[in-house]
Amino acid sequence: MRKKLTVIPERCSGCRVCELVCAISHAGVNNPKKANIRVISLYPHPVIKMPIVCEQCKKPKCRDACPTDAIVVTDGVVTILEDRCISCHACVSACHIGAIFVHEDVDTPFKCDMCGGNPKCVEACPKKAILYVPEHTLGQAHRLASALQYANMQEVEYFEHGEKKKLRYAEIETGGTRGDSR
Amino acid sequence: MKVLHVDLSECKTSVEEVDEEFALKYIGGRGWGARLVWEHLKEDTDPLSPENIIVIAPGPLSGLYLPSAGKTSICSISPTTGIYGDSNIGGMFGVELRQAGFDAVVIKGKAPGLSYLWIDDDDIQLKSAEQYAGMGSIETEHQLREDIGDETVKVASIGPAGEKMVKMACITADWGRNAGRTGMGAILGSKNLKAIAIRGTRDLPVADLKRLTGISDKAYKKLSRHNLFEFWQRQGLMSVIDYANTTGIIPTHNFKDTHFEEAGKINGDVMELEYKIGDTACFGCPMACGNVNLVKDGKYAGTVIEGPEYETAAMFGSNVGISDFSAIVRANYLCDEYGIDTITAGSLISVMIEAYEKDLVTLEDLDGMALNWGDDESIMEMIRKIAFREGVGDTLAEGVYGVIERWPQLAPIISHVKGLDQSAYDARVAMTMALGYATSDIGAHHARAWPVAKELEMGCNWDLNEKADLVIYHQTVRPLFDMLGVCRLPWIELGFDENTYAEFFSAAVGIEFTLEELLKLSNDVYNLTRAINIRLGLSRDDDKPPDRVFNDPIKTGPHAGKVLNRDEFREILDIYYERRGWDMDGIPTDETLKASGLDDAIEYMEPKRNTK
Repeated sequence: MRKKLTVIPERCSGCRVCELVCAISHAGVNNPKKANIRVISLYPHPVIKMPIVCEQCKKPKCRDACPTDAIVVTDGVVTILEDRCISCHACVSACHIGAIFVHEDVDTPFKCDMCGGNPKCVEACPKKAILYVPEHTLGQAHRLASALQYANMQEVEYFEHGEKKKLRYAEIETGGTRGDSR
Repeated sequence: MKVLHVDLSECKTSVEEVDEEFALKYIGGRGWGARLVWEHLKEDTDPLSPENIIVIAPGPLSGLYLPSAGKTSICSISPTTGIYGDSNIGGMFGVELRQAGFDAVVIKGKAPGLSYLWIDDDDIQLKSAEQYAGMGSIETEHQLREDIGDETVKVASIGPAGEKMVKMACITADWGRNAGRTGMGAILGSKNLKAIAIRGTRDLPVADLKRLTGISDKAYKKLSRHNLFEFWQRQGLMSVIDYANTTGIIPTHNFKDTHFEEAGKINGDVMELEYKIGDTACFGCPMACGNVNLVKDGKYAGTVIEGPEYETAAMFGSNVGISDFSAIVRANYLCDEYGIDTITAGSLISVMIEAYEKDLVTLEDLDGMALNWGDDESIMEMIRKIAFREGVGDTLAEGVYGVIERWPQLAPIISHVKGLDQSAYDARVAMTMALGYATSDIGAHHARAWPVAKELEMGCNWDLNEKADLVIYHQTVRPLFDMLGVCRLPWIELGFDENTYAEFFSAAVGIEFTLEELLKLSNDVYNLTRAINIRLGLSRDDDKPPDRVFNDPIKTGPHAGKVLNRDEFREILDIYYERRGWDMDGIPTDETLKASGLDDAIEYMEPKRNTK
């Protein structure tokens, strides 16, 4: 089963521990700017903190943009081959989420390799904002939200002590006490 | 390791290579800062003159892979108090400075026009900041990033209050993290330095990265397994409101009381359920104590800010009688944007409310604007007046001493030590807290010692010798965190073993240190800041807690009726001096200075000694 990295920006605190563990394990240095993942923090309009990491596209734009065929997809991981790369950075601009990074000290652009199936950032994230999940579960949150939203709109009628009452689908589980929101 | 020297008058910068002896003796952060301040010290330097220096120093652990290593100390002679002052700031700023290759920046002189310092690795430029004049600190940060064209640039800046040299002005970075205390923002203002922007890309030096990683992997795991870890992420320091109210130490109505009836309306639960929209953390911190709050409705709707944390919520809540959390969020936002310290601002505003209540000042003194407990609109206006030095705000902007100079009758109702307003923990309930405030090297701030929790936990009736020892231990271990460039909250709040910091440090520098050795170095720095303060004219008479501690019994709550005894305080101060190796005037003895490697301080102490 193929797995993917996904992020939940609402959980991210912007602490950059993911950057640190990534840089230490991949570049061997304490330098968050050499990490294959990057936390973007915006404030105040709007307030958001979000780890940016490669989505391992199956038809990657970075690969299409590469003039020297230096980008290949192997076992679901998009990889930049150092010996073929000419450092033109076309891939960096091509990535639609900006998940390929550059640093002055390094010629070849760098990106997430999912740590061979055991991503360090996922383990290290103190806020559980980065997940490593089976591919088919991506979008699950939105599916659940859609279903819940639909359920919230639907009502069933029922009788209690001879009195006719209405209950929304979404309230069935909680016993229908909608008055107290906490 | 390098220090960047900036002379704003000459528009010149130079880079100094720091020798290992200095680096390891003073460790970094506050240690380096205090030493550099000492070396530049002249007794007659006005803190707001070009001659005063300001040192911005992260520590040797800042930016490294270990829990909560995002702290930076800012040290100088304080315009608020006239003595040694420092304040630390979290966020990412200090890490970026280290990544640019500098372990400290020393700034002196005064720029000819409003300027900002742009540190782009080793490319350093002084640029005009005229376009940011009068701009709030959060807005400045936002605008500077946009103008530089790099969202990852880190910015520390001052707001309009700093530009106007308001003596409670702070330095703000990462959208509302502040070096709040002792008026460091006023010093930048006096130097015409609106901001410092940094882009650093370098690897941080670690002698044994494998060892550090091993210790830190475990450290992060250990913290995350603590039973309060998730609660801490959710509420952070806001959880202290309930603690402080229940234990009876929350400042209420200008420190008159220590229990606030409406605390349940301004506590962590209210914040979490009704205001919080996200977490923020300093660099590498798993605890993420920062809470981003949004006011969703009412007259302050749309206000968004990181904060308040406990101090701000207490100083702009219970202490001024505000029980509407959205007003506290608003006050926090205004203070951050204008760039003033929420503790000092909250304290002085509460002083004016009490003064008005007791007819110690007139309506004219307040520019015709009545000021009452819980009157949030007047309080917001007062914040603005302080920041822009308008009317009565101009007097408050001069800090405690300015207020006392204009209205000597207010002296008894101002809770301060050495000109610095007391932070949000009452001292009447615990002798150790009173001693901690009285002997703190920057004035009445809890950063040096926060023994109140321990004293309450153990019941307050124990031996004065042990109490003095507890204060000295706090004053030694807590500043050590500021020297290393890390946050002390994992240790205080989640019981993280302080010995681990010796391991972190040893792995980082490649030389073995024990915690005891580090504590000794921290103690040496405490003797150094004491020597600075003695040179600047401080004496035993200044080591006294706020008057209220002795003569105004607590009225309500669990400690109703309690005050401290003056004679007992004298007694514990004697014990404290003796245990510190200071003479009975509070001056470090020659032996103490020698033992601390401060032989060069001896000649300055001699003339100050009481020879009778």
